[in-house]
Amino acid sequence: MNGQYASLLIAIPLLSAFFVPLIKGLGKRAIKSYVLMITAIQTGIAAWVFKEVYSTGKPIIVIAGGWKPPVGINLYIGYFAALFILIVAVVSFLMAVFNFKAVTIEPIDKYAMLFLLLMLGATGMIATGDIFNLFVFMEITAITAYALTAYNKTGEAAEASLKYMILGGIGSSFFLIGVALIYGATGTLNMAQIAQLAGHINPTVAQVGLALIIFGLAVEAELFPLNAWAPDAYQAAPHPVTAMFSAFVVKAGLYAMARVLYLMSSVGTWHNVLKLLVVMATLTVVVAEFSALRQRNVKRMIAYSSISQVGLIALAFALGTQAGVDAGVFQMVNHAIIKVLLFLGVGYVAVQLGGADIENFRGLGRKMPATAFGITIGAMAAVGVPLFNIFWSKLRIILATLQVGYTWAAFLVLAASVVEAVYYFRLVHAIWFEGEGERVGESVPLVIIMIALAILVIAIGIYPNYAWSISQKAGADIFNVAQYIKNVPLMGVGA
Amino acid sequence: MVSILKRGLAIIILLVIGYWLAQGLSGVPFGQDKMLVGQYYLNHVKQQTGAVNAVTAVVVNYRGFDTLGEVTVLFIASTGVGALLWGKNRKRTARTEGSVVLTTGTRLLVPFVILFGAYIFIHGHLTPGGGFPGGATIATAFLLLYMAFTMYEIPYKAFEKTEGIVGMGYVVVGLIGLAIGGYFLFDWIWQTWGWGHNNIGRLFSGGFIPVIYTIIGIKVGTELSGIIDNMLKEEVKE
Repeated sequence: MNGQYASLLIAIPLLSAFFVPLIKGLGKRAIKSYVLMITAIQTGIAAWVFKEVYSTGKPIIVIAGGWKPPVGINLYIGYFAALFILIVAVVSFLMAVFNFKAVTIEPIDKYAMLFLLLMLGATGMIATGDIFNLFVFMEITAITAYALTAYNKTGEAAEASLKYMILGGIGSSFFLIGVALIYGATGTLNMAQIAQLAGHINPTVAQVGLALIIFGLAVEAELFPLNAWAPDAYQAAPHPVTAMFSAFVVKAGLYAMARVLYLMSSVGTWHNVLKLLVVMATLTVVVAEFSALRQRNVKRMIAYSSISQVGLIALAFALGTQAGVDAGVFQMVNHAIIKVLLFLGVGYVAVQLGGADIENFRGLGRKMPATAFGITIGAMAAVGVPLFNIFWSKLRIILATLQVGYTWAAFLVLAASVVEAVYYFRLVHAIWFEGEGERVGESVPLVIIMIALAILVIAIGIYPNYAWSISQKAGADIFNVAQYIKNVPLMGVGA
Repeated sequence: MVSILKRGLAIIILLVIGYWLAQGLSGVPFGQDKMLVGQYYLNHVKQQTGAVNAVTAVVVNYRGFDTLGEVTVLFIASTGVGALLWGKNRKRTARTEGSVVLTTGTRLLVPFVILFGAYIFIHGHLTPGGGFPGGATIATAFLLLYMAFTMYEIPYKAFEKTEGIVGMGYVVVGLIGLAIGGYFLFDWIWQTWGWGHNNIGRLFSGGFIPVIYTIIGIKVGTELSGIIDNMLKEEVKE
């Protein structure tokens, strides 16, 4: 099949989101089933794209409108994008299953549209090869995320959404000014051509532009000090949406950051930006872990844990070495799996027992054994216990950090891991060794999903080689800019 | 004391950042010919897209993918407003009827405002403007109606459905391009069918630009009217 059909990854969610108003009269169940069906189709297309890219070894370049870049806009679905588009689609599909239990607040039709568009936005951010198009998809992702954060229509949700909106708005404007500077200096918006011309830009302009873009994306990527919105938003958003935030919305921001960062690697002042990013990332890890320690609400606690692990990924990307980027991608994959597992488990407990306070988790092992099992596996993995998947990626990130010589950063991250272990084991202890309770019925599809994810966690933990080789390819896709430029069929405008 | 220190610190940080930004900005060659892609557009726009208005050609044709995204952003905004202001029993609660000048003026003007809006988006490939301003103009007509009459409301269910249908229309135009020309959002009307090639500068030219701008115009018009409707209504307790 023709590679251009990969544009269906964008067209299908859009078309189906626009279709929702026409079926809104059919009732809640029908709309939720419709979303499930669309995400299943999206997963199918994403799986085809993944197979295509990994079997041929060549990226799929989707050329919108038939205008060759840089005149038109292209999508670049290489190893990284193919992998993450598949993750986005699969996670959306799983959360579409969870929607049946977790989302009861009206209006479901609007929720369905926003849900599909969140998936679309993240897919677009990951796939695009044009820096202004990246901004457009970032806006799509961010604005859907604001609306979904406030969807529960409680006071906290409104506050969280407003916080997110203000910070996100500032971030977007920074990003846009940065893009304008780079456009002013190069005359092009195509990422490959920017990478080609990056070496010729005035170094001050490049540094300012890059730093503005990084700062703008840092809001989406939840880096300290721009992540104040994240815990509130994670806590207030509907449970499936929280899982999506953690599994791929923040990843899309991180990826965009890493992509732009490495595109500009031929700029003379590049290493200053890296140093700034290393500091920000390390602080993110440390601050988030210590904040997590104090939380009584488990959903919020896991939100902090998610932020800290995202900081770890950012640290890996900021190292500027192949080993670092590979490890970062590996951590991204692992983190997506366990955070879906954890937020699904915790969200389900909150739905069944009325709230995610730690009190509800006492005796969970007796009340909801399968869910408790899922959360336990997720917690053990998140801490980085050997033979679970995160262990390998954390190890590789720390080794890569030491290789570059940031001993202090590696030390701080390790210390933060100890803190992480404390609160996760406290949770596991509360689940299995405290409290009493009657058995509560558990939904079969959700239990199946949790067990499947738990098996995946352990499978990667015991046999990491396959996942690691995929992550290495995806990492090389970000790191090897020369190959990226070569893969995009630029028509020689001006260059 | 603390607040003065805090403020001083904030000012110093702002000055440092401002200086740094100014440094960056001064390094961008302003006013010089830095048109890599821009020059290409200017040289080829007529022959490749059939539009006389180069801006429109860039927005809808060369970078049409971005515009599809922007349309989606607006759609999300209206959906988000709809989701957050949702209520079972929402009605208009305005009490003061508009003055004679306002009501009479509205009655006379509304058809012409809508006509003008339609003119703007239909002629997007020839004159400044296009789907977004055209749609906004149309929404102004409905805003006028809301201001003048306390009882007026748009047929919001029909508007919502229209919004969805025209949105799908945009994607379908893109998909037809994929089917005919092999690329998503390919301009099949101009490049494959070759319609309007000897009509450049007149209404029936510009390939799919007028089609898409009509879609966008209707979409923006219904969306903005929907937002006005949502924001004006309040939950009424029986």
